[in-house]
Amino acid sequence: MSDPLTRLLAELPLGEPDAARAERTRMGCRALLARQASRASASRGPSSGRRSVQVWQLLIGVLGVAYLTEVIVQALSVYGPP
Amino acid sequence: MERDTELALVERLRRGDLDAFDDVYAAFNTRLFTFLVRLSRRRDVAEDLLEETWLRLVKHAQRLGADTRLGPWLFTVARNLHVSYLRSRMLEDSAAASLIALWPFSLEHSSPFEAAAASELERRIERALAAMPAASREVLLLVAVAGLDHSDAADICGITPEALRQRLHRARETLSKVLERDAEAGVPAPGGMTSCPIR
Repeated sequence: MSDPLTRLLAELPLGEPDAARAERTRMGCRALLARQASRASASRGPSSGRRSVQVWQLLIGVLGVAYLTEVIVQALSVYGPP
Repeated sequence: MERDTELALVERLRRGDLDAFDDVYAAFNTRLFTFLVRLSRRRDVAEDLLEETWLRLVKHAQRLGADTRLGPWLFTVARNLHVSYLRSRMLEDSAAASLIALWPFSLEHSSPFEAAAASELERRIERALAAMPAASREVLLLVAVAGLDHSDAADICGITPEALRQRLHRARETLSKVLERDAEAGVPAPGGMTSCPIR
C-alpha cells in the first residue's frame, strides 16, 4: 500500500448513511433477530412437551394393563374352576 | 477485527444475541455503505442495498457457519445484491454505455462523493472511479479502498485470485490514465502515479 495511487484510494473519505434510516434499519434487524430467537426457543419447547406426553401415555398404558390383569385375576378367582 | 473476537461474535449471532448484532453493525455499516455508494453511484440505491444486506445477515444468522468471516460474508452479499440490482434495472455498464452512446447529449458519470470532496484531486479520483466499468470499480473498491486482501476480494467477486490480480492491474491502469488525462487538461497528478505496481 505504498504507491501514490493506492495511498490516495485508501485515504478516500468514508460515506455516512442517513442516520435516521440507519437507526431504523438497526432496530428493525434487532426486532427480527429477537423474533427468530424466540421462535427457535419456542420450537425447542414442544419437543420436551412431546416427551412428557409420551411418558404419561406410557404410564397410563402400564396402569391400564395392571388394572385389567387384576380384573381378570379376580374374575377367575370368583368364577374360575374350584 | 481480531479473529477470536469475530468467532465469538458469530457464535453469539447464531444464538440470536442482539448486542452481537449491534457490534457487527457498528463495525461494518459505514464500510459497507461506502462500498455500495461508490459501486452504485447513488445514495438511495446504496441505502436500500445496505438495508437488505443487514436483513440477509439476520435471516441467515442461525445458519451461519461457526467459522464464518463476517467481512467477506457481508461484502459478498452487498456485492451480489448490487449485481442483482443492475440486472433487474438492466443497468449493466456495457448496456448502459451503448445506450448512452446513442443519447444525443453527453452524460457524465458522477459520484455522490464528488460534491463533498475536500480537494480537487479527491474530486477527480471520485469522478474517475465513478466512470469506470463496474467490474473494475468493484475490485478497486474492495482491495484499495475497503482494504480487503486479494483472496477475500476474489471470493467476493466469484473469480480466481489470478483473475482478480489481472482485473485489478487493468483497473489501476485505467484509473491512472484517466487521472493523467485530467492532469494534462490542467490539474497536476500526484507524483509517480503512472507506474503504480500492483499491491
